[in-house]
Amino acid sequence: MTHKDYSHNTKIATLKASSSLNKGYMVFLIPGVLLFLLIIVFPLLANIGLSFTKWSGVGTPVWVGFTNYMKAIRDSYFLTSFKNALLLVITVTTIPTLIGLLLAGFIFEYILDKFGRGIAIFFRVGFYLPQIVPIVVVGIVWRWMLQPNWGVLNWSLKAVGLDTLTRSWLGDTSTALPSIMMMMIWFQIGYPLVIFIAALQRIDPVVYDAADLDGASRLQRYFYITIPLIRPEIFVVVLTTIIYTLKTFAQVYVTTKGGPGRATIVPSYFSYQNFFIRSRVGYGATITTVLTIIIGLVAIGFIRMQIKQEQEG
Amino acid sequence: MLFPFALITNNSFKTETEYYANGPYSLFKSLNLDTLKKVWNLMDYSIKLRNSIVISMSVALLAIVISLSTAFALGIGKVKGKSFFIMFFLLAFVLPQEVLVFPLYHLSKLVGLYNTRLSVIIIISVLYSSFGTYFLSSIFSAFSRELIEAAEIDGCNKLQLLFRIIVPLSMPSLSILFVFFFIWSWNEFFIPLVFLVSNDNQTITIAMAMAQGQHGATLTLQSAAALLGVIPCIIFFVLFQRTLTKGITLGSIK
Amino acid sequence: MLKKMTIILMLVGIMLVGIFVNAEIAFAEKSDVVGTLKIWDMEVDNAFSASWGFAREEFKAMYPNVTVQYELKTFEQMQEMGKMILSSDEVPDVMQCNKGNATAGMYASEGLLTDLTAEAEARGWADIMGSSFQTTCRYNNQGIMGSGNLYGVTNYGEFVMVYYNKDMFEQYGVEVPTSMAEFEAVCDKFVVAGIAPISLGGLTGWPIDHAWYELVLYKADRDLINNYQLLQGDVDFQGTAYTFGAEKFAEYATKGYFDPKAMGVSYDDANGAFVQGKTPMNITGSWWYGSALTGITDYDWGIFLLPGKNLYEGSGGDLWVVPEKAKNKDLAYEFIDLTMQKEAQTVMANAGGIPINADLTQITDPHVLDLNRVFSSIVQKDGLAFYPDWPVPGYNEVLIPSLQELFAGTVTPEEFNNAISIPYNEYKESLK
Repeated sequence: MTHKDYSHNTKIATLKASSSLNKGYMVFLIPGVLLFLLIIVFPLLANIGLSFTKWSGVGTPVWVGFTNYMKAIRDSYFLTSFKNALLLVITVTTIPTLIGLLLAGFIFEYILDKFGRGIAIFFRVGFYLPQIVPIVVVGIVWRWMLQPNWGVLNWSLKAVGLDTLTRSWLGDTSTALPSIMMMMIWFQIGYPLVIFIAALQRIDPVVYDAADLDGASRLQRYFYITIPLIRPEIFVVVLTTIIYTLKTFAQVYVTTKGGPGRATIVPSYFSYQNFFIRSRVGYGATITTVLTIIIGLVAIGFIRMQIKQEQEG
Repeated sequence: MLFPFALITNNSFKTETEYYANGPYSLFKSLNLDTLKKVWNLMDYSIKLRNSIVISMSVALLAIVISLSTAFALGIGKVKGKSFFIMFFLLAFVLPQEVLVFPLYHLSKLVGLYNTRLSVIIIISVLYSSFGTYFLSSIFSAFSRELIEAAEIDGCNKLQLLFRIIVPLSMPSLSILFVFFFIWSWNEFFIPLVFLVSNDNQTITIAMAMAQGQHGATLTLQSAAALLGVIPCIIFFVLFQRTLTKGITLGSIK
Repeated sequence: MLKKMTIILMLVGIMLVGIFVNAEIAFAEKSDVVGTLKIWDMEVDNAFSASWGFAREEFKAMYPNVTVQYELKTFEQMQEMGKMILSSDEVPDVMQCNKGNATAGMYASEGLLTDLTAEAEARGWADIMGSSFQTTCRYNNQGIMGSGNLYGVTNYGEFVMVYYNKDMFEQYGVEVPTSMAEFEAVCDKFVVAGIAPISLGGLTGWPIDHAWYELVLYKADRDLINNYQLLQGDVDFQGTAYTFGAEKFAEYATKGYFDPKAMGVSYDDANGAFVQGKTPMNITGSWWYGSALTGITDYDWGIFLLPGKNLYEGSGGDLWVVPEKAKNKDLAYEFIDLTMQKEAQTVMANAGGIPINADLTQITDPHVLDLNRVFSSIVQKDGLAFYPDWPVPGYNEVLIPSLQELFAGTVTPEEFNNAISIPYNEYKESLK
């Protein structure tokens, strides 16, 4: 942004003007802040408070101090839920991001040149389409496809003679979580793809001149120059995907409800069970408090890392 | 990628016996609308559709209004502690929604808004306005100061500044935000699940999840339900495609 | 741009109309118009929906100036949101409620349900039900069934049985078993032929615990059931009955008596498999009987109880409850009354239900007679053992995953019994 040089007088006038402007603007903050305090801050604090109580949801909560937290550390469901969340984060963040990077490059560098804008847009739209659909519906569609006896996947496997590969995808402890991962990856690919394509569009082609002169191949150019240049976008994609994945709920609710056994239990769903089905509101609050703290730490850690990188780079 | 969509479209036109006999890949024999009709009625689809539209429209509008107001103060007014406020608001995006519901449930009962769409609208709007504030304030910060000063010298008060100058200038961004908010709130599941009790309040996403439960039944019914859930989204997408993709990219860059 | 503006304006218009229309409805409700009755139930396309739909029509005819607002709910919705709904003002006047400590008991102990004792006496519901069905209608102030005030009334009975495909049995040369050994032999025959003998809907969760509990009942007696269900006395989860049940369940899973893919199949799909003739047996409850009657058209079918024991999973049916915050209680009582009377009850019988107040001599359908005869025989033997998830609120959230793990063989029967004992004992402790 270019800064214009004001003359001395105008500067003073501007300063005076801005300080009176400043006060007036506070008013516009009030509705947002009030609503925010009411809808976000108050419940958050109440939730943290509830995590120290034992409560069935009706009547008065009973203060129990750190009992819930102690219980959580020893609860295999609690620990497994976070383990599953970690596994989900790792797969659902890295794989779609990598695929997104590769596909973006492919579409931008190759398809765009060879086949023109129309086809490129078709690809971009096609990959992004799942993101438009409610995650609930995605879960339903995948559950339908993974039905063990008549679902599309097993049917297809049988049709090509791969009977032995058929599984009870959502019902088998070893394949349940991977199935959900597949579903989430399918859902998620469009997001990094679209962001990276836009990122590629903002790169000034001048940057590539030196590389082209050196005779670098397109592939080399992409990996060594382009990708480092779009680091800000990669950062945003990774951070937002991690946070989103840590909050997984509807995917599990609509398919396996945490089963079989503990194979697909995740913190959000586990807290839901405790809040609403097992009437252990205090314990549910404990789970969500821990989850919030973890998300907060991840976010802060990431942002710090990025600020550091920006300073260095 | 698009394969599942093709599949559910194909299989929603089949009868149960057709599916069990020939499998999911066989092309449907005729445009049999029975399964779709049955699901439509079972779900009271038209009512849920109305609810989803009402909620999504209202959220989109309300969230934009709140975001405008807050971003106006932060981005144009350059209020002190701007980055603190932005971080404060972004908190909402980090929280899992389960954290909010129990206290909000009691709050909504207190003001008599439990089981109303208004409660859902307010809660979701506030959640989304955190993103809206962040998005708009970074756009507003980039507005030329001269323009604003010129307006002030002309005797504009702040409201006039907001509505006569800022809003028209940021129309493209506002429309992007509108589409985002509409689609996000359309896909919301958890908050409506907790706050909407009556059948005639519920949204399509809830109806979808319920349709899988006790009254779920056969594979063709499931496919039809999924299809009915997907179609409105595809319609929106086609209508707002360009705005959408423009928006995703704009919002990502810090 | 113009096109988009038009669309947006249209949508805004629709939204405003929607809000306006809803404002009107809200007004009508809030002005407490005399003559509204809100009914919620969870049944569609079965014997109950037939009977209660009939009762609703009777009600409308009797009270033409009362608006009947009926809503179909789902079991999951009520299990998950039930408490929040009942403690708000958004309650119906009368609703179908799952019986047992975990649901009705919990609601009763938290003051969310109206005490129906007096009403039941006055209107003769208590007599219609008799003492055996009142167990699941009475709850004390800790929410445990069997004693205390009457918080619900039921108008039907239910139990779990084996539905079997007579044609398939004939085809594979097996007969209805009369002992456990024979039952297992029948299953073996089908496994050898490459057919999963028993349909099981593991993905939906709760159907699994029915199958397991039936196996536990082989070595259980009335004392154990009372201790377990009423949270009195000591329950040894590593004792004979539970060990037998868990071991048998795991054994059946390993032998392939249940479809190995069962944990990925939903309840509806499992039923569907039986209806399509893909499995010869289906272990589920009488609540499915009506659907079986209408759905099974290709072959001859029947039912039998798992042979070789005296206790069977079953109880009085779901309860009609009147929420404490209901606004039209008198009308609610009128409606409940209609469902208890002979007319509605006979409709239930004809549609394949087990009513408690119908004149069965008027029924001619052999299937229906069969069902009711079997149920009576259980009641006469005092054989109703209730359901496994009743003792503790939300018990299924532990029972089901643990059973899934037992099915997969990732835990031993001993570990399983230990896992399910923990929440049970915790809850029992908390009641002291």
